[in-house]
Amino acid sequence: MSSFNHLGKRINRVDGLGKVTGKAIYGDDILIPGMLYGVCRYADIPAGKVLSIDTQVAEQVLGVVKIARFNDVPGNPYAGVIIRDYPPIIDNLVRFEGDVLAVIVAETYEAACLAADKIQIEYDVFKPICSVEDALKPGARLIQPGSDSNIVASHHTEKGDVDLAFAACAQQIERTFNIGFQEHGYIEPESITAYIDPSSSNLVLSGSIQNPHRVRGFVASYLALPESDVDVRRSVLGGSFGGKDDTIDHLSCRAALMAQLTGRPVKFTYTREQSICESSKRHPYNMTYKVGFDDSGRIQAMKIDILVESGAYAACTPFVTWRSVVQAAGPYDIENVRVDIKGVYTNNTYTAAMRGFGSPQVVYANESLMDEIAEICHISAIKVRKINVLKQDSLSITGQKFDKHKVSAVEVLERAVEESDYQAKLEKYSRLNAGTDHVKYGIGLALSYRGCSMGAEGVDTSSALVVLNSDASVNISTGVCENGQGLQTTMTIIAAEVFGIAIGEVKFTEPPTSLISDGGPTVASRATVTGGAAVKDGAETLKARIFEVVASELKVETLDQTLWRDGIISNRDLPELQISFKEAVNKAKWAGINLAAYGWFAQPEISWDEEKGTGSPYFTWVYGCQIAEVKVDTSTGKLELLHVTAVHDVGQVINKTGFEGQVAGGIAQGFGLGVLEDYNIEFGELKTKNLDSYLLPTIKDIPAIKIIAIENGDEACPFGAKSIGEPASELAAAAINNAACFALKKRIRQLPLTLEQLVLGYNLKKPARQSELLQDDGHKKHTHRLTDMHLVNPSDLTETLQLLSEGGYRPFAGGTDLLVQGRLHYSDDKFVNILGIDGLNEIVETESEVRIGSAVCFNRILAHSSVIGHFPLLSQACQTIGSNQIRNRATIGGNIINAAPCADSVPPLLVYEAEVELQSATSSRRIPLSQFITGSYRTDIKVGELLTQVCIPKQNLGNVSHKYSQLGRRNALNISRLSISCLMGFDSEGKVDLCRVVDGSLFSHSQRLSAIEDLLIGSRLTSEVIGKAENQLLDMIDTAIGGRWSAKYKQPVFINMFKDLMNDIVVENSQEQRDAC
Amino acid sequence: MLANKDNKTAIKLIVNSISHTLEVAGNTRLLDLVRNELRQTGTKEGCSVGECGACTVILDGKPVCSCLVLAAQCDGKEVTTIEGVADDPLAQQLQQSFIVEGGVQCGFCTPGVLMSSWALLGDNPTPSDSDILDALEGNLCRCTGYQPILNSIKAVIKENLQSLNSA
Repeated sequence: MSSFNHLGKRINRVDGLGKVTGKAIYGDDILIPGMLYGVCRYADIPAGKVLSIDTQVAEQVLGVVKIARFNDVPGNPYAGVIIRDYPPIIDNLVRFEGDVLAVIVAETYEAACLAADKIQIEYDVFKPICSVEDALKPGARLIQPGSDSNIVASHHTEKGDVDLAFAACAQQIERTFNIGFQEHGYIEPESITAYIDPSSSNLVLSGSIQNPHRVRGFVASYLALPESDVDVRRSVLGGSFGGKDDTIDHLSCRAALMAQLTGRPVKFTYTREQSICESSKRHPYNMTYKVGFDDSGRIQAMKIDILVESGAYAACTPFVTWRSVVQAAGPYDIENVRVDIKGVYTNNTYTAAMRGFGSPQVVYANESLMDEIAEICHISAIKVRKINVLKQDSLSITGQKFDKHKVSAVEVLERAVEESDYQAKLEKYSRLNAGTDHVKYGIGLALSYRGCSMGAEGVDTSSALVVLNSDASVNISTGVCENGQGLQTTMTIIAAEVFGIAIGEVKFTEPPTSLISDGGPTVASRATVTGGAAVKDGAETLKARIFEVVASELKVETLDQTLWRDGIISNRDLPELQISFKEAVNKAKWAGINLAAYGWFAQPEISWDEEKGTGSPYFTWVYGCQIAEVKVDTSTGKLELLHVTAVHDVGQVINKTGFEGQVAGGIAQGFGLGVLEDYNIEFGELKTKNLDSYLLPTIKDIPAIKIIAIENGDEACPFGAKSIGEPASELAAAAINNAACFALKKRIRQLPLTLEQLVLGYNLKKPARQSELLQDDGHKKHTHRLTDMHLVNPSDLTETLQLLSEGGYRPFAGGTDLLVQGRLHYSDDKFVNILGIDGLNEIVETESEVRIGSAVCFNRILAHSSVIGHFPLLSQACQTIGSNQIRNRATIGGNIINAAPCADSVPPLLVYEAEVELQSATSSRRIPLSQFITGSYRTDIKVGELLTQVCIPKQNLGNVSHKYSQLGRRNALNISRLSISCLMGFDSEGKVDLCRVVDGSLFSHSQRLSAIEDLLIGSRLTSEVIGKAENQLLDMIDTAIGGRWSAKYKQPVFINMFKDLMNDIVVENSQEQRDAC
Repeated sequence: MLANKDNKTAIKLIVNSISHTLEVAGNTRLLDLVRNELRQTGTKEGCSVGECGACTVILDGKPVCSCLVLAAQCDGKEVTTIEGVADDPLAQQLQQSFIVEGGVQCGFCTPGVLMSSWALLGDNPTPSDSDILDALEGNLCRCTGYQPILNSIKAVIKENLQSLNSA
């Protein structure tokens, strides 16, 4: 039996019920009578000087109450946690695209948005500085004119003599690694509400706030108010990961300003586009590692130079880079090390705190390097780490002696190796990879250590309130906050553990800033360590006071002699001497004892000498090891994560459910960083503005994860518990990369491992979505939203056709394209709703064909027995479209009429030689689909016509192969990158007698590849014939799309996919022939 | 039914078992209708383009992204949101399981995730793993890494199987 009442068990989340029932109030759920709606007017360019801002027309918009600019700020107009360089409303200098030039509040959200669109701004446009290299060039324009150079911060660490040591090394390698921006990707966009409390006249802020005391400080300073007049009362926070920190400081300043200027409540809620455009990102790193080692793999010297992109503002860059400089050489005992790091301003999105805080980048580089050393020395990935790893009492690279905590780097490594069955998997994957199959497998590991809490970044104290009520129930509050990570549950468990009472007896309440002192920010995986210690401190203070009241009755002299368990306080040696906790509290109350306590945490001594780059930067450290298994399709570059084993020494698990949730979530974010999340900003202009282009992992991308806790309790921490939030997120990208390198037998030195990265060795820059570009006619909306929609619901097809014939109306079905496009640009479209109209809504099978109404959604099509039976490729292709929710709305008619090159239903329809039926009020026609779609986003639809039916002839083709191959960047929610649909049949001699091949997402519109079909018909599918077809394809693609940005990738990959598909058919066919024999 | 001169469309629909007769503007989405007009704020807006699934509601029995449905298209429809399943035994079973298994962290995606799960298990009490993945692929979660969500749903399926077997 555990010595703890609750610790380490599975405890239900105490704030779960409000969340699962939808009752929890998040920022945008706040509604105050008389509230105004706020919108920010963002810059149109990434760099330049504002010459004039004309708000006259905007002010005339009905409902606009106030437009504020830089000069309206009564206090300090600059914010910034370390360097005050961030004006929440900018002066006259645009430093990046997410800068706010003016803020509008209006009676309605629409009025505020409209006004933002009508603000006219003239600029002196600068050429944006978009790379660290350009920013560091002599004479480069200063991004922040007040600074001496574009360098935000620089740090170093030094141990031994690197230059001397390199001279004596048998082996030396130098490698450069690059890793891009990462968006936090919290599902809740930012929302802040500000109002003047009519009773107290306090300025109150609520909403999606990670760090309330920081918000209070900046708002007070911005408005020149004492902090006591600003009260921050957070709402439930929908994820943050470091992101609702600086950005929320700035938004809070704007909202507070508008509430003060108007005297009315004001709410700002961002769209996803505004959120991604304005909010900070994880820092891109360029890391050059030079390492010297002997032939056994022992590292003797390491020199690391890191350039970090800070973007337009400093934010947390000085601290992020400092953590990196301390941890850059990994959990290894190296005699001679020199690390230099520089954070540099550019005109790109600013970078700041994100879960990991400068560690995922260096863990990635360093752990990749360890694998390279192993390869060179012909030793295993495990051995190279064991040879070099930090042990008990080792000196770290900053000269800290690791003697005050259990150094468990080897322990987590060995446990992960064992739990993952590493050796057997390694052998199995090596065996599989020895074959000729285009799919390769990999296993890779990463090991890290991490300093807990903020360390020498600054003051590291925390606060808690613990109050015992007369019925012995307990109220607790902390200065650190619930961000979704489970803090309320953790704190509740700690208090219940101290008192030996049930979890349900303790109630966590989120305190306003007016009622608790600053507990320091909820960052740096510090909340359990610092806030938990403060709760424990407060609870133990009360426990000691109660003890004094009951000691004589229990015949004990010291607290150690008592046992507090299950609501009973007893004499440890004479258990029959006991008193219930309730009764003890009651006695204490009547004895006039103070039953409220203020808990406090101050960190043990640490030190840092910035000049020397040495010291003991963190008072304790955690160790973790993750092992990733992957599958890589070398034909396409598609990487799939198969399994992860994660072992973390957390000191002591407080809540097993919470611990595992943190690890799984951290790994998913690491997968995103390592593989999917390609934040694309080009010339300072953001291209990945929403979650359709910035790709987060879906449920289909994250496999089973084995999660193991190691518990080496730490004396400096509450119940020995250390950190897990960030350790969990810093290893996966590194482990995945090592696994991918194993699979591909080559080293890759740039993340993310996109399709293009794995095939070409570099990332292709994508332009914005073509559907968006198409409509860029100057009527852009600054705030994406629907406006001016006009929809009518006709009663039948006749009325529909009548409306269409009158002109001005367009058909509207599932709306999954039209509503996405409609948010971007003003237009006065009028729509006819065709969903549910008889004649458009049915799937009918006749003797010769299957007729699908144009308004039938994909989920109905893919599951329909006639479709599955006759047109399996259509069913398969429909299954890949969007998501389940999208497939319940999106229609086949819409897919065809939109005519995107990536329309997934079109290729199979072409393979099956479908025809479309078009009706107008006066006529009707039927033409082959192949003639109807005439180009990219172009069809042969005539004014007044409606696509009513898709008619697919039943194929009496005998025994033919129906083959479909589709490539997406992730395993769901894809816009198809490429697809091939193919029907193939053979005569009795094994020669191709039927062949239909259609591309998807390759050419301007999907089409039958007749030249390929002609080439294959009449031949056996020998490798020679397939090779000829490949050459033919090569020419076709070159001619058609050779100049397009994506052709470098699409040309070889489409040919690979074609070859793989042909080979599949060959294998299948020979199998069938064998079966027939 | 044509829009009137104010560009509003009269619709009749049932939301969470209550019948409403409303006049909705052409640009009002089903999401705006439930959150703003009916003040049922359990349904969340995360991306407005049908990617994140936080706005998932059940429309005539099928999960949809309410950000991609116009309210004017909902005449004669039946809509169920997270508020509408408060007393539903299957929903309660799922909600409890999400709390026990850690399927909820920040909770912002949770109403959408639960509506997708509820629709899935309502149609089929014992879906396969791949059925679950298909049903949940349109609900992004940034906190949990999805495994705890899967555990939450599978725990309910296990209970369903046990009660089926004992019956």
